[in-house]
Order: sequence, then C-alpha cells, then structure tokens
Amino acid sequence: MELGRLEYLQALVTEFQVTDSTGNKRRCSLSLSVSSVSSHTRRFSFAEAKEQVLANLANFAYDPSNYEYLRQLQVLDLFLDMLTEDNEALVEFAIGGLCNLCLDKINKEYILEANGVEPIINCLSSSNEETVVSAVTTLMFLTTPQSRAQTTALPVVECMLRFSLSANTRLSNLASIFLQDYCSPPQVEEARNLSKHTAVGIPLPKD
Amino acid sequence: MAAGSSGGPGAPCRHHAQLGACESRAKYREGWRPRAVKVYTINLESRYLLIQGVPALGVMKELVEQFALYGAIEEYHALDEYPAEQFTEVYLIKFKKLQCARVAKKKMDERSFFGSLLHVCYAPEFETVQETREKLQDRRKYIAKATNQRDCFVLKKVEGPKKTASKNSEHDCPWSTSGSHVALDSDPAGFTSSHGVSHNTVYPSGNPNQSLLTSQHYDNSCAEISGYFGQNTSLTPSVHPGGHLPPAPLMQHRTVPAYNGIDRFMPRTTHLQERKRKREEGNKFSFIGTSEDNTEVVIGPQLPEIPKVDMDDESLNTSATLIRNKLKEVADSVSTTSVEKPESSSAKPLVKQRRRI
Repeated sequence: MELGRLEYLQALVTEFQVTDSTGNKRRCSLSLSVSSVSSHTRRFSFAEAKEQVLANLANFAYDPSNYEYLRQLQVLDLFLDMLTEDNEALVEFAIGGLCNLCLDKINKEYILEANGVEPIINCLSSSNEETVVSAVTTLMFLTTPQSRAQTTALPVVECMLRFSLSANTRLSNLASIFLQDYCSPPQVEEARNLSKHTAVGIPLPKD
Repeated sequence: MAAGSSGGPGAPCRHHAQLGACESRAKYREGWRPRAVKVYTINLESRYLLIQGVPALGVMKELVEQFALYGAIEEYHALDEYPAEQFTEVYLIKFKKLQCARVAKKKMDERSFFGSLLHVCYAPEFETVQETREKLQDRRKYIAKATNQRDCFVLKKVEGPKKTASKNSEHDCPWSTSGSHVALDSDPAGFTSSHGVSHNTVYPSGNPNQSLLTSQHYDNSCAEISGYFGQNTSLTPSVHPGGHLPPAPLMQHRTVPAYNGIDRFMPRTTHLQERKRKREEGNKFSFIGTSEDNTEVVIGPQLPEIPKVDMDDESLNTSATLIRNKLKEVADSVSTTSVEKPESSSAKPLVKQRRRI
C-alpha cells in the first residue's frame, strides 16, 4: 500500500489533468487511476483543486531530488502551459515552480528549448508581486551565453531599470542584480536612453 | 506608488500576511498541519525573520535565546514602527545562515511564547542587494551540488538504499560529520523535544520547508541541525523517506521497519491503518493472555499515555521525567498484575499494546 514519490507526483499530475477542463491529448494520456483521485476532488471546486495541486507541484520543484520525476511527468510543460492562463494564482504558482527548478542544467535547457523565455518575460507585466519577482529570478537563472540575447533583450532591461527604482525592496534588489550581473553597461545605457523617451511603461505590480 | 510604499523594509508586506489554512484539500494531499496554499521560492526565503505576536513584556532576551537554539544570530532588534497588535511587539532577527533561519521559522512559527502565539515569517525586504545576490548564488551552488550528487546516488542506489544513506551522510556530505552527532547529545532541550515534531513535517504536501530538513542541508556550520540529519539513517539527499512518522516521539521505532523500501513514502491514511492493524494484532495477544516476550498481559481499558510535555528547559524536563517515572513506579507497585519496565515500552512495539488498569 505504500506509495512512492513518483506515484504521489503522478497522482498530483493526474488530478491536475482531470480537473483541467481544457485537457488536450497529451494530458489525457497521462490520466491514470482517474476514478480514485476524482472522487475526492468533486467535493469542492475544480479551480480550487487545480490551484492547490499546482502549488503542490511547484513546491516539490524546490527540491532537486524530485527533478527526475517532474521531468518524467512532464511537469515542466505543465508549468509552461500555465503561464498563459487567465487565473493569476495559476500563473503565480507556475512561475514559482519554474523558478524553483530552472537552475538545474537539464531543466534549464528544456525550458529554453521549449521557448519558455517569452511567456516568462510576459510575467514581468503581471500585477502580482510574487509572479514578477519569480519571473525576474527565473530570467536570471535561465541566462546562459546562448540564451543571453533573449533573456536580456532591450525591453527586459528597460523593465528592470524601472523595477530597480521601485520602493519594493525585494523587487528593486533583484532588478539591480539583474542589471549589474547579467547585463553589460552598454546594454543598460541603451535601455536608459530609450526609457527617457517613453514616459509611460508597464505598471508596477500591486502590493 | 502603491507598490512602493508597502514593499520597503519596515513596512508591512503582503507576503507577511498569514494566509488562511486551506480547508478543501483532497485527503491524499493533506498534511499533518493545516497549511495555506502557497509556493515557496528562494525569493520568499531569507536569513531575516520577522517575529510578530511577541508579548510586550520585555522578553527580547528570552526570544533571542529561543531563536539562537537554531543557529548563530547576526543581528536582532525590535521593529517599533511595524504595526503590531495591542500589547505585542515585532522583532527582526537575522541569522548567519539561511538554513538556520529555515529551521527556526519552522520550529518557532505558531509556537506559544509567554502566552502568545508567535507568527514567524521570512523578511527578504530587509536584505541588501548584496545579501540577495549571495542568497541566489547559494541556491545556484546548492543545485549544482545536489544535481551532481543525485547522479552518483542513482549509481549507488543499486547496492542498497540503506547503505547509500549512511554513505551519503558520512562521506558525500561534508556537513554531516561525526562530530555533529555528539552535538545532538548535548542538545538544548528545545531542540530535542521538538524531535518528534520535526518528523511530522516530512509529509507530502510538497512544501519546500518540509523537504528542507531532508535535503537542503547545505549549511556546514549548523552543527545541531546536521547532527539531527546525520542521526537519521533513513534520510538521503535524493530520496525522501516521505513516510509519516507518528507524532509521538516514543513511536518512532515502530515506523522504522516501514523503511525497508527507502524511497517509498506512506500516505498518512495508510500509515494510520497500519498502526491500527498493529495495535489490533497486539490486542489479540492480550486477549489470548500471552505475549511473545513473556511479559504479563494486562486486560482492561487502556489509559492514555502521559503526554510528554516539553517544559522548554533542560532541567525542567529532567525533573518532569523524574516525577513521571516516580508516578509510574507508585502506580506499578499498587497494581498487582502489571510489572512495567519503563525501558521495555520503547524497545518493543508489542509491549505497548498491553492494557493498563
């Protein structure tokens, strides 16, 4: 009756797919032992269950010992998929999960291959503080000599310049590190000149 | 400027607000303690801890002493400007190591302190740019190390998981030295007494805080903590025992056999069922009137065990234990049937099933 870590994560993923009304083919193929899991979930709203399971998976993504399993269960795709959801909580948990696992080399390469940078950059304009903070960190962690052009594109640097002036210390600290450690001085200079001309930018996240 | 004014140090942050515990989790995802739905990332963690709900009784010294049990404190002070409930104060404590702050937060959050419940949370907004940078670098280093380690673990796993566990803790992990085992013996009362509690936290809610204790121990200097790790043979960096140990420290020994497959974890419900089965098995013996180890069998309603109360102080604990033992002695001499050896209850699981009168 004992359940292994992989089986447990599988159950989470399965529950996530089951509660996913949009479920595409890939997701359906993952759905195993549906009946046992769904009987629990029916008692409360699917959306709620989905958030909980995603948060669960994102927290599992903090621990490197789970990476192999998470890859096996295609949780990275799941996180990337969720970045474009309307539900802010789902986006927050998904980018949190990516932030947790993207330092691993294999995961990093996978995310870059899957064109994950673009949706992550879009998270920078979220009104949710956690989402923005996770996105900034994720971009730093994803920066490699190859991906650098993408992760430190001009609009991103411009955005970081504004964040670095934020009174939100967490955000301004991260943005400063981004500018100092991941961008070249000419890059920052270019962005600075550009932002002089555009008075209105993306609004800062609400607190 | 809404984002600005509330995000700076000294001002209340949204991430400090305690979220309500989640009431609607599916059974298999339930943990031991009620938890809110929250994702922890490195951004939320910090060496800075904000402690709310400290009674305004001038107990800063006691507070800092409590927290110092979990590691060296670099800095601490009261936050006078921080909004606090009436008759309470807010303190900021900065640990030397993130790992110590993690453990301290876990152990001290929602703990009663001078009659008030503490709320402990990370306060990353007090970090300087440099401190945030170091925190991220440490995470980078840790992941690099852990993912390499996982690879060699997979190779070794073939030999036998038990072996690997001890190997890992003794050779591969620099933080688990034999010296740290000694540190555990002379442990402060608070740490030892929370032993059982810390086991509870290894449950599959996926909260990183739980996994920290088992795998995120990249802190060499926390001798107490690493001692705790080193001592627990079932912990490996790459595979969580994940199993649920019963809350009472006395019951630890019962779960050890469940770890024959080290990478399996047992959901809580299964574990409870298992316990029930064992108890019933034990009861069978008592009804038959024999027991395998020839100790006398007592039949009758079982009184609840005297709870192990943590007095928060080593000497108090010692005296409490003495009193408890004395009470036991007296009770035993009165009852004609039971001759209880205090040691036996912790040594053999079956003996515990005996009924007391």
